[in-house]
Amino acid sequence: MSRVLYDEATRVYPGTERPAVDALDLDIHDGEFLVLVGPSGCGKSTSLRMLAGLERVDGGRIAIGDRDVTHLAPRDRDIAMVFQNYALYPHMSVADNMGFALRVMKAPKEEIDRRVKEAAGLLDLTEFLDRKPKALSGGQRQRVAMGRAIVREPKVFLMDEPLSNLDAKLRVQTRTQIAALQRRLGVTTVYVTHDQVEAMTMGDRVAVLKDGVLQQVDTPLRLYQHPANVFVAGFIGSPSMNLAEYPVEGDEAVLDDTRVRLSRETIQALKEEGGDRVILGFRPEGVEVVGEGTPGSFPVTVTVVEELGSDAFLYGQYADTTDPVRLGQTVIARVDPNMPPAKGERVRLRILPGKERLFSVVSGRRLPA
Amino acid sequence: MSTSMTPPASPMPPETLPGEATRPPVTAAPRGEAQSPLEDSSRRTRWLVTLLIVVALLWTLVPLVWMLMSSFKNAEAVTAATPQFFFSPTLDNYRNLFSGANNLGPYIVHSVLAAGISALLAVGLGALAGYGLARTHMRGKKHLAFWIISTRMAPIAAVVVPLFLIFRGLGLIDSIPGLILAYLTFNLPFAIWLMSAFFAEVPSSLEESALVAGCSRWQAFWMVILPLTKSGLVTTFILCLVFAWNDYAFAVVFSGPSSQTLPIAASQLVTQTGIDWGQLTAIGTIVVVPMMLAGLAVRRWLVTGLTLGAITGE
Repeated sequence: MSRVLYDEATRVYPGTERPAVDALDLDIHDGEFLVLVGPSGCGKSTSLRMLAGLERVDGGRIAIGDRDVTHLAPRDRDIAMVFQNYALYPHMSVADNMGFALRVMKAPKEEIDRRVKEAAGLLDLTEFLDRKPKALSGGQRQRVAMGRAIVREPKVFLMDEPLSNLDAKLRVQTRTQIAALQRRLGVTTVYVTHDQVEAMTMGDRVAVLKDGVLQQVDTPLRLYQHPANVFVAGFIGSPSMNLAEYPVEGDEAVLDDTRVRLSRETIQALKEEGGDRVILGFRPEGVEVVGEGTPGSFPVTVTVVEELGSDAFLYGQYADTTDPVRLGQTVIARVDPNMPPAKGERVRLRILPGKERLFSVVSGRRLPA
Repeated sequence: MSTSMTPPASPMPPETLPGEATRPPVTAAPRGEAQSPLEDSSRRTRWLVTLLIVVALLWTLVPLVWMLMSSFKNAEAVTAATPQFFFSPTLDNYRNLFSGANNLGPYIVHSVLAAGISALLAVGLGALAGYGLARTHMRGKKHLAFWIISTRMAPIAAVVVPLFLIFRGLGLIDSIPGLILAYLTFNLPFAIWLMSAFFAEVPSSLEESALVAGCSRWQAFWMVILPLTKSGLVTTFILCLVFAWNDYAFAVVFSGPSSQTLPIAASQLVTQTGIDWGQLTAIGTIVVVPMMLAGLAVRRWLVTGLTLGAITGE
């Protein structure tokens, strides 16, 4: 159990200009479950591999506990890692796979046996201990990979997309199991995924990366409610936030035939950067279907309705818009699943008070509301 | 010694010919019903494949069987104008080989030492270099790999003379170490190239996992990577062994009385006064049989090794 600290940690691959990880600052608390999330190529795996010692750190430093590990070999860092393809040793039995690290450390045989059995019990693997990985299902292999990490009793767990090789149903099950297990063991965990649902459901805190740059790190709920910029707003949440650019006239954003009043702080911030447009975002659940003529509402033509039983989502296009930026853009709104609108219907939507998020067109940063 | 060049082919069991192994079973259409053109053509393909296998088998086995039979015949039967299939077998040819002034024993020892040690060295060094080559990210890696294997492409005749001069300077002529080194010059590039292909097949996450688990680079290589390339090691060893064991060109130039190998012994039976076919076929048998047995013993690994892949169990 330990705190993990990234201090301006940077990695530049040879032959490339842009750093794969650019001055990453991240303070991961003792026992915390931190998820690194982002689209492919955002540097999340590289960040994890830097912590593992599998990737060089070209600038800044990384510490585990009080120890600077920036230039230590992987084996001296007291960590355990779960790989995307599990990286089980095909020539060893499940028991040997799980006890491998202890064997390398030359732990006494009885101790290895005891810890392997303990972990196997925890993960429902007891009956498979003599099998080779080849004879296991995908889910069982995944658990062996987890078991191998647990047996080690390391300071930090590192997990690199450990669920991405499982089918959708198993992934959801295993997701909660891993999160529960981590809380039980209380070991600091850094978990990499490209799946924002995984990030939101598992992490104590979530760090969003893009192009090697940390965008925001916060609790899942705060990320969802208070995204720091347009990228985080669009990346976190499913279906994603509606984001569109609107012209600003006076102290109001113009939504076609209707207007949304902006706060003084927002206007002030807009003035400072000299923009006459604003990005306005709202979550699908941040709007309601209203009657014709409701002030502050805008018309949408329904193209698709997704009925999920507990929820229904309307996918539509801005009707009547003359702004080329918004032509053809999709609007997503959560609607009453008991009486969803029909395809082709024209409805009016109104953003619920306080549910709009405003971002700068210039920098993408959120504007003070 | 043309027959001694055949062992590499013979350990390949006929049932592993690619065309046959991957073909789905063909079910014959019931008699009397019209056959679809598709079934007709697949049936024809099967006949063709069978025919090819039979021809290949005859081509490979007839000389070997004939050599084996001849080695147990007496002088008259060997040279009889009409080939004799039924005869009373005798061990005279073998007895003669191991008696008298020109005993075959030392030749066998030289062959075993030179071929065995050079093949072991080639596999050991080839594995280390091949691993490095497979895992490095340096620029021009492909060119380096090609350069290494290209040194194996030169004809033996082209390197014999320069090697001879070097070996003479180093006092390596007529010595087993000299022969080992000569075979290594040809086998090592081949071993590096082949082993690097095997290592490239092993996902690097396996050794990364080992490194994180507490292994040094060497431990990760030794405990995780090497056991996974067992079939590669066996394949490489056998192919290197066969090359050195069958070699005549290097041996005839570099070896002397104290280091002559089996192929040289065989050539010495061809004299100006005549050829002792009985003894010659007996030597041929002694040369061929060990390689065939070795090939058969490791057949399982050799087949997976020659096809590469399927080593990670994923």
